[in-house]
This record gives sequence, structure tokens and C-alpha cells, in this order.
Amino acid sequence: MSENQEVDIIDEVISQDYKYGFSTDIEMETAPMGLSEEIVRFISAKKNEPEWLLEWRLKAYRYWLTLKEPTWQNFRYPKVNYQDIIFYAAPKQKITLDSLDQVDPELLKTFEKLGISLTEQKRLTGVAVDAVFDSVSIATTFKDQLKEKGVIFCAISEAVHEHPELVRKYLGSVVPATDNYYAALNSAVFSDGSFVYIPKGVRCPMELSTYFRINAENTGQFERTLIIADDNSYVSYLEGCTAPMRDENQLHAAVVELVTHDHAEIKYSTVQNWYPGDKEGKGGIYNFVTKRGICEGSHSKISWTQVETGSAITWKYPSCILKGDYSTGEFFSVAVTNNHQLADTGTKMVHIGKHTKSRIVSKGISAGKSHNTYRGLVKVNKKAEKSRNHTQCDSMLIGDRSGAHTFPYIEVNNNTSQVEHEASTSKIGEDQLFYCNQRGIGTEEAIGLIVNGFCKEVLNQLPMEFAVEAQKLLAVSLEGSVG
Amino acid sequence: MLLENIKSEYNQYKNQAEESAFFQLREKAFAEFDKSGFPTIKNEEWKYTNLKSIFDKNFKSTCVSSASVKNLLVDSLFNSIKANKLVFVNGSFNPELSSIIEKDSAIVISNLAKARKENTIVFDAHFGNYAKIENESLNAMNTALMSDGAFVYVPSNKKVENPIIIINVVDANDMNVLSQPRNLIILEKNAEACIVESYISVGVNASFINVVNEIYVNENAHLEHYKIQQQTGESYQNNYTQIFQEANTNINQVTLTLDGTMVRNNLHFYMNGKNCDTLLYGLYITEGSNHIDNHTRVDHAMPNCQSNELYKGIMKDKSTAVFNGKIMVHLDAQKTNAYQRNQNVLLDPEASINTKPQLEIFADDVKCTHGATIGQLDEEPMFYLRSRGIPEDVARKMLLNAFADDIAEKIKIPELVGLLEQLIEEKL
Repeated sequence: MSENQEVDIIDEVISQDYKYGFSTDIEMETAPMGLSEEIVRFISAKKNEPEWLLEWRLKAYRYWLTLKEPTWQNFRYPKVNYQDIIFYAAPKQKITLDSLDQVDPELLKTFEKLGISLTEQKRLTGVAVDAVFDSVSIATTFKDQLKEKGVIFCAISEAVHEHPELVRKYLGSVVPATDNYYAALNSAVFSDGSFVYIPKGVRCPMELSTYFRINAENTGQFERTLIIADDNSYVSYLEGCTAPMRDENQLHAAVVELVTHDHAEIKYSTVQNWYPGDKEGKGGIYNFVTKRGICEGSHSKISWTQVETGSAITWKYPSCILKGDYSTGEFFSVAVTNNHQLADTGTKMVHIGKHTKSRIVSKGISAGKSHNTYRGLVKVNKKAEKSRNHTQCDSMLIGDRSGAHTFPYIEVNNNTSQVEHEASTSKIGEDQLFYCNQRGIGTEEAIGLIVNGFCKEVLNQLPMEFAVEAQKLLAVSLEGSVG
Repeated sequence: MLLENIKSEYNQYKNQAEESAFFQLREKAFAEFDKSGFPTIKNEEWKYTNLKSIFDKNFKSTCVSSASVKNLLVDSLFNSIKANKLVFVNGSFNPELSSIIEKDSAIVISNLAKARKENTIVFDAHFGNYAKIENESLNAMNTALMSDGAFVYVPSNKKVENPIIIINVVDANDMNVLSQPRNLIILEKNAEACIVESYISVGVNASFINVVNEIYVNENAHLEHYKIQQQTGESYQNNYTQIFQEANTNINQVTLTLDGTMVRNNLHFYMNGKNCDTLLYGLYITEGSNHIDNHTRVDHAMPNCQSNELYKGIMKDKSTAVFNGKIMVHLDAQKTNAYQRNQNVLLDPEASINTKPQLEIFADDVKCTHGATIGQLDEEPMFYLRSRGIPEDVARKMLLNAFADDIAEKIKIPELVGLLEQLIEEKL
């Protein structure tokens, strides 16, 4: 089967399904294009939301109207026309293919390199999965286990109805609706997202992941995640997956809020591999996310780990507010950019409580014509006695048209604190490459190897099976960057 | 208040100015200043330094100088040092207090007003070429209204035997003084010079000194450049220095900020040729409610250049300090080595520091690192000293002195280093 034929078939299937989706599924409704107060009311009504949430959304919307798009970032992008976006569409039915043979072979090749299991491959590409291996059934067993422990893990729209007291208390408590341009936008129109509550003294028995959340498999354009860890609890949460995600939406403005109480810990890992645009830099996703966690209680801990390889533009700063005494914040990041990708990412560590600690490890790799920026803030307040921070950000450049930039802000208002920052920028050593070549390892493979070594510190933070995939992902992302 | 004073001063100047290229430049600069006004904290480059407190003070330019200036000079660091001295009081050249000992008549050490008439070709070729006025409203203000300043011209293959010391005195005995000196320093090929800029003050009133330095260093030249700021009383300073380097040049720059209510230094290097080697050192000691802001920027525009930067700060009482270092490696500036380090010690609970070491890199074959530390004196050396019977306060002083002297020692005038170390010790 020639490539053209293949494309034809896929096109055919897609267009068929599209037709189908509109002709038979009468219940599926789409909001009119654009953004207005009516749209916000429409979304809220669709979701059958209580009055207070509608008010909250409207307040956010009205505030958003007064804001201007920020311009301080270290990149330029064509302006987003908010009147061109459909802000609400009920989950579209995914295109169902009969077998993997109908899937884009390029995609399959990538899966193979990533070592994704056959079942999972099917699920990711939208191939109908065998009933026995259905992820739904697996997920159900997990759900029972969680229920037994008292862990709440559901869609946020569900939580609004079932646990309104929790949602009302915490929603917007870390990232207020008035926080910034994109957070305000998200607050006004957020479609859905995850809600997690870990009760006192519970250690969540498994890694939670959107993978197992059945009713919200389609990650929305304006996702909202809220995770609360009560006293002495622990949870590890995974977001995204290593497989390339095709997505029609250009702008993604998600908000993630984390709250930890006394002695609680949240570990939040992200692997992001959205469509980065083609080799000329056309298309691709804008990933403008607001992520923030607050260590409310003493001895609590929040740890962010991210592997960012996708998206045309990544613009996010997962942050920690260290309010409780002896609380800890961590940020581990790998950002890989290739071709025309842009990444402006980093973290903010705000030390408020006494004896608070934070650690930042950021690894940026830029190849092709891409630019990678680390931007971070470490702020030590006057009362944050004996607090401690260590920041390390290393950049690696591949190719003479790429750029690496570092903009750390350090503000210390306390004389008992210790803050250290170190950064370096370098390229892959010729001698390292030579060493590999000489032992029969091809240049491309060698680069993958060296980059993996460079990122080891961060990759080690990822949960086991994720780490293996992420390692392979790095090599795949950098393909074609040499020569 | 300040804004009105500046406008009326400019109008006064404009009415009696003659039509010339120089006047045109000033017109342009004033228009630029008028357009952008004073920088506010909304401007990212001024995020941590608020100039608001100087706007409503009645600063005025003046050429008056009192007898106390002479005594001040006698007491200054440089009295006993054998050097060429150019003294400017409130921005005006003072020939009586100045002394030129350089014998080589090809080397010009004089003031800018004179040089504009006598060394027109050199002046026109360089003046206003390096310190940009676009979006730098304080530079524009200086260009529009500068009083006078030092002019140094070292022709090819010449070496200035003794250091050249440019002493800027602010005499605020009678009124709040606004002073805007402007220095132009040119080193031709293979030339060598050592230049010291000094800022001192006397008087009970407030002062605002807005300096612009333009320095051009031609191929294979070597420059030693030191800046020593010790203005006392209520004194505000904005000091902008642009150094333009051609190929194979070698520069050692040291900035010591020991006093001043509010000091803002902008130190910019632009490497326009290959194989440049630049060293930047800085020391700032703040006390009371003083505020010292050091902005440095090194532009690696060409391949094979090296820069090494080390800035150290000691903050006492309620004082604040800012460090903002930027290394910019341009496209194709391969084989660049750029290092930057900023170390700070906070001595008192109310003191604070904002530091922002930045790297912007557009070439791949580079080695760049930067580091910043904020903290207290190391416990281990302290323990070492105390275990040998040295009391805590003495040990503390020793360690702080060692920390600071590290920078003072980069100055290559031995007599001056001794005096400075003494001064630092007293301060600490």
C-alpha cells in the first residue's frame, strides 16, 4: 500500500466519522464560536453547575476582560484570536479504526521506539480495544481499591456535585481566578479536569494518572486540576503520556492547583509530548499553563517533575509556595526543543515559613532553530528564617542556530537563609561523540545517550515505567538534529 | 520638580546654543528624554531600583565650588599617589586642582569642552557613538545637558606612564546639586592606559550625579579601568559606562562601591573583534538604608572571546543591593568562554539582596556558567579561627576583610590597594 493510498484511507475514515458525528449524535452540542458572558453561562449551564461556581466563572471572565496579554516572555507568537475558538464542545466521539494497519505508519514507528505495548498503542490511536483488555475494566478495579482507602479521584465536574464543600473551599485558593491572563481565562471557561482528595493518614496505593480516569479521557483545552493531600497523606500523580498526542486545539491554558497539609506530600509528574509543529515551525500547540502548589502545613512537601518535549511553545512555571514551617518544594525539569520549538519554563519558589527548603534542577536541551529559556524566581521572605535553596540549571546546545537563555531572579530578605544558584551552558563535546563513534555507536544514537546522561538527575525522579519511556522519548525528540 | 528643572535648563541652553552637529545630537537626546521620561519600576531593567525619591527634590546644576573641596582632595585616597589628576567640581573642570604629569605631548589628557574644539576629528569620530540614548532616558538626559568631563586620547603604540585619575567632586554646601559629567576615553591600537574614576562629595545638601562614560579600545590595546564610589551624605548616582572593544583587546575593570544613598551602575561591554579578554570585578558594601544596584552586560558579538566576572557584596543594617549581570552571546560568536559569579553576605536581618544573573546564548560552541550565592560567612573557617583562640568578632572581621579584599586586590596600583584595604576594614 503506497503512502498516498494510506493517507486516502485515513482521510476517508476521518471524514466519514466526522459526518457521522454530526448527523446522528443530536445530543452533542457545540457552543457558538467566540467568548462572551453568554458563553460562560452556557458552559456553566451545560455542566449543571451550582450558582456559586457560575458567579466565580463570571467574575473571572469580567476580570479577564480588563487584562492584556502578557508580553514579557522571551519569544514572540502570533496573537491568539479568542473569538475564533469554540470554548465548549461536548466530548467528541473518537474516530474508531478497526486495526492498527489503518494507523499512520510514522506514528507506529514512534510507538515502537518508545516501547509502548500493543494494547496501549491501540488505545492511543483510537483503535477499538479488545473487551478483555479494555482499560475501562482495569480502571474499575483500581477505582474500587481507591474507594476502599477513601481517596476521591474523579472529574472535577463530578466533584462539584458530589463534594461541593471541598471544591468550593479549594478551587482558586492557590491560583486565584485573578492570578494572570491565562488563569483568568481558564477560570472562566474551564471544561473539565481531575479532582483528587487524599484523606488524613492515607498513602495512595497507586500512582494516579489521567490514564485511568474514564470519563474525561479527552484532555480538554482548558483543563483544571485540583489535588488536595490532607494531613500525613501521600500521592503521586501522573499527567500526560509519552506518546505523541495529536490535538486540534492550538491554545492550551490549563490550571493545576496542589494543596498539602501537615506532613503531606504530593509528587506531580508531567510528560508532555504534544504536536510541536512541522519542521518549518508551522502549526503546533501553544502550551500556556499555570501550575502552582501550596505547602499549607508544616513538614509538607510538593515535588514537580516535568519532561517537556512537545508543543510549539511551552510557557509554564510550576511553582511552590512554602508557607508551612519546615516545608519542602522541589522542581525537576527536562525541556527539549527541536526545529522551531520554543520553551520558556522554570519555577517559582516562595519561602514564607521558617526552615523551608527548595531545590531546583533544570535541564534544557535546544537543537535545530529552537530556543530554550529557564526563568525562575527564588524569593525568601523576611520571616522565612534559616531557609535554604539550591538551584542548578544546565543547558545543552545542539547546532549553531539554537539558543539557550537563563533568567533567574533571586530575592532574599533574610540574613539567616542560604541561597545558591548555578548554571552552565555547553554543547555536546566532540570528544564524547568521538568516543561513542569509535566504539561503533552512530552519532544520532550517541547524542541520545549523552543527552540521557545529562538528564539523568531529573529522569530518576519519574516513576519507574515512565522513566524508561521518557528516556526513549528524548532520543526520538532529537532525531534529525544532527547532520 | 527635577523634571521641570531639567526642562528649563535645557531651554536656557537652547536659546544660546549655536547650530552645529553637536547641538543636533543634543536636540535629539532631549527629544528622546522628553518622550520616555525617567525610568520607573515598571521597566524590567529598573524593577528593583525606584528613582521616585529623587524626582521631587530641587536639584540644580551649578558651577559654584567652595574652599572645602580643596581639603576634601587632600584627605582623599589619591593625594599621595603619583598620577595625572583631572578634577571636576559639580561637573565643571577645575584646572587649579588638576595636575597633568604626562610628558608625552601626543597623549591628550584634558577636558571634553576643550577637546571638542582642539581634537575635533577624534571627538566627532567617537562622541555619542557608544552610549545609546534610545530607551536609555538617563543617557539621553546626560547627552542633552552634560556639563564637562574627562577626555583621554592615547595614540597608537603609546603607553600612559602614570595612572589617570578622574576625580568627580560634588559640592553640595549651598544647594541640592545636579551634576552630569561625561567622559570620553579612546585608546588606539597597541595603546595602554590605567584610568581611575573617583566619586566623592562634601556638603549637607543632597546631590544627584548622572554620569556617562564612553570608552573605545582599539585593536591590541590594554586598559585598566577602576571605578571607586564613595559619595557621602544624601547622594544619588547613576553611572553608565559603555566600553567598546576591538579585536585582541585586554581589559581589567574593577568597580568598588563603598558609599552612596542610591547608586546605580550600568557597565556594558561590547566585543566587536576576536580574542578579546575582559575581566570584571565588583565589590559593594551597603549600610544604613543605602541602595546599590549593579547592572552589567557583556556582549560577545565575535568568536573566541573571553569574559570573567566576579561581583561580591556585603549588606548591613537595612540596606538593599541589586545585582543584574547579563552575558549575551550573539549568533556565530563561537568558542566563547564567559563566566559570571555573584556572592553576597547578608549581615543583618533587615538587609536584602535581589540578584539576577542572566545568560542569553545564541551560539552553540560556548562555555558559559554563572553562579550566585547568598548567605552568611562560612562556618568552617570560622570554626578554624575560633579553635585557635581568636575571638568571634575578630574572626568575623578577618573573614569579611578577606572576602572583600579579594576584589580590591584586582586593582594594579599597589599604593591604592593598601589604602583601600584600610578603608574597607574601617567600614566593616
